[in-house]
Amino acid sequence: MTVTTNGLAKARRGVAPGGSGQPLKRNSTSPLKAQRTRTFLWLLLPSVLLLLLINGYPLVYAAIQATHNGSLIDTGEFVGLDNFTSVLTSPALWKAAGFTLVFTIVGVFGSWIVGLGLALLLKTRIPVRGLFKILLLLPWVVPIVVSSTAWNWLLGTPQSPIPALFNAVGLGSPLFLANPTLAAVTVCVFKVWVSFPFMMMMSASALASVDSTVYEAASMDGATKWQQFTQITLPLSARSTYISWILMTIFCVNDFPTIYLLTGGGPVDATTSLVVFAYRTVFQNFQTGQGVAVAFLMTLTLVVVSVILYRQIRKSSVE
Amino acid sequence: MNPTSTSFSRRGFLGLAAAVAAIPALAACTGGSPSGGGGGGAVKFWDMPWGTPAYNEAAKKVTEAYAPSSSNLKASYQIIQWNNFYQTYSSAIASKTGPAVSTGGGFQAFQFEQQGAIAYADGVIDALKKNGMYDDFLPGVLDPFKSDKGYIAVPWQLDMRVFWYRKSLFEKAGVAPPTDWNGILEAGKALKKIGAVGFATGAGSGNFFANHVAIQMMLNNGGGVWSPDGQIDVMNDRNLEATEFLYELVSNGIIDPGAVSYTNDNLQAQWKDKKAGYGSYAAGLDNSIGDTSGDLVVAPVVAGPHGDKATLVFPNNIMMYKNTPSQESSDAFLVYYLGQIKQFWQQNLLGSLPVFKSITELPEFAGNPNNVKVIKEWQPIAKTFAARGAALNANHAVLDGGQAISQFAQSVITGTGDAKTALKAFETGLKAVVKS
Repeated sequence: MTVTTNGLAKARRGVAPGGSGQPLKRNSTSPLKAQRTRTFLWLLLPSVLLLLLINGYPLVYAAIQATHNGSLIDTGEFVGLDNFTSVLTSPALWKAAGFTLVFTIVGVFGSWIVGLGLALLLKTRIPVRGLFKILLLLPWVVPIVVSSTAWNWLLGTPQSPIPALFNAVGLGSPLFLANPTLAAVTVCVFKVWVSFPFMMMMSASALASVDSTVYEAASMDGATKWQQFTQITLPLSARSTYISWILMTIFCVNDFPTIYLLTGGGPVDATTSLVVFAYRTVFQNFQTGQGVAVAFLMTLTLVVVSVILYRQIRKSSVE
Repeated sequence: MNPTSTSFSRRGFLGLAAAVAAIPALAACTGGSPSGGGGGGAVKFWDMPWGTPAYNEAAKKVTEAYAPSSSNLKASYQIIQWNNFYQTYSSAIASKTGPAVSTGGGFQAFQFEQQGAIAYADGVIDALKKNGMYDDFLPGVLDPFKSDKGYIAVPWQLDMRVFWYRKSLFEKAGVAPPTDWNGILEAGKALKKIGAVGFATGAGSGNFFANHVAIQMMLNNGGGVWSPDGQIDVMNDRNLEATEFLYELVSNGIIDPGAVSYTNDNLQAQWKDKKAGYGSYAAGLDNSIGDTSGDLVVAPVVAGPHGDKATLVFPNNIMMYKNTPSQESSDAFLVYYLGQIKQFWQQNLLGSLPVFKSITELPEFAGNPNNVKVIKEWQPIAKTFAARGAALNANHAVLDGGQAISQFAQSVITGTGDAKTALKAFETGLKAVVKS
């Protein structure tokens, strides 16, 4: 067992079999090395400047709008942090933040569980595996406008197929998009359905990178399938998992079409997320500054969440 | 993974995270790139998809057929999609690449006028007076566009809310089409007994008919969101009575419990599938769903409990912008275009109502009894969102489709809370966004 554990530890550090595990000693003061670094930085500079321009200009412009009371055409008067104060004291914002939290947690972990499960299933020898892989990618590939229309057709009215099916088996005629609780559940399930193929691909690539000899060794040591999953699969795919969580968190928090096309944020704001709230504030209430302030707060939150998750990645890499 | 590459990736990743997270803000705020102003040797006319693609083809032909006098410029045609149209116009206007003349949202002209981008249409109105078209306008359609500074835009079609009913369902239910609110209630109960919807509406994604019917019922009771001098006046007795009536329809199961999530497609399907027996919809519903059998009929005007009669209308308009290569050319093109629009009704390309009496008398329009009924009975009592005031302004854009009215309408048709609470929330929400 000791040998296997050492092997696992090396594998996690990316050390080749037989390697010492010690980093190579490099002469950092070599003039050639310094020259290479300078060249590298000069070559990198245009890209960095371009990125700063692409990301920086809109951010600065957005910052200006968030601190003014104008419109999309006219910047208006400087109001300091009034827009932030207004949105932060609005109960509607906190309601939207609550739904965003639920939507994100369900979206990230729901799609991860389904995606990982399917990735594990597709790793086994099942007939027409390639066809299944393609079919399972469809929810991710199909444009969201098409899939939301399809879901609306399936659920939208009491005469739609799924409510009609419920009715036929004596479960009443649930209003999936009209009842606030059911609408929130439906939107979250829709998000999981749309997102699991992405998680499946991420998990499949992580699983493929795990050396099968590790499982063989564990089997010989008497590890059960569950022990292999919890002690080998999860730890060895942790880095990839954390990255997929970060990406899916960003996808969920910024997801506008999934929600807006299915419910428009209703009924009675039950499925209004922060991004829908920001959109409505700018384009329906025409309060540009407040809407952009909401977007800034979202950005800040996402950066904090990303930092926390990134630390987990680094921790898993070190381990 | 060595520590050096880890820290580099971290910064890169955080940059990416920030950029992705900022997308909503950026999408909302970035303007288009400047590329030459509003002319380039032609009057740029931007038009929306008002009907089928055939409408836009016809409108393009009309625009391209324009042969100006020697001193004026020709015109070019461009379709602008409804999706994010306000953003499209805003970006274009901000970057001086917008149109010189355009159709657009019902309140768009007032919003851009407030921001100093609109050219007043007084020159066009003068020209219409000279050529006789001014006297051809239906009564009252021009008034909402008149401001102290001049005419903000010129109406060219009407989007009116009227009550429709399905004859066969009423016969089956054994009731007559209602002519007052009590009749709506009784007919609704009878329709419910036969499994039909007695007051069809919808408030799902992108569907504003529930918002509109809430205001329509207020107007029909002599109420309205604004006082005669244009101040917010939501909590008046007439509005409360109208809202209570809608709650009564909900509590009696006359308004479909699922209506809050119905998109426009869902709502049209209810009418097409003969599930909806009665309800408010746009004039032209029969053409929209392709049912001109005579079974789907415009209902009689209903009277409120105090005898008031009114409905809601959105006068769609054509506006001109200050960013034009020549204001005279813009004026001349708009006068020409208004003189040509009758062919859209002759070719049955538009479901909305015309603003000119002469078009309402065309056989292609008057051949549909529903059109005749709308013009004869509903148009004279139609009021805009500005009621009980007269002139439209930018605040009405905030009312139309804003969060306050959407939440109000959704609360009402789901029976959430009570009428007074819903109205109070509506008023509070509206006051928070309306500029005084």
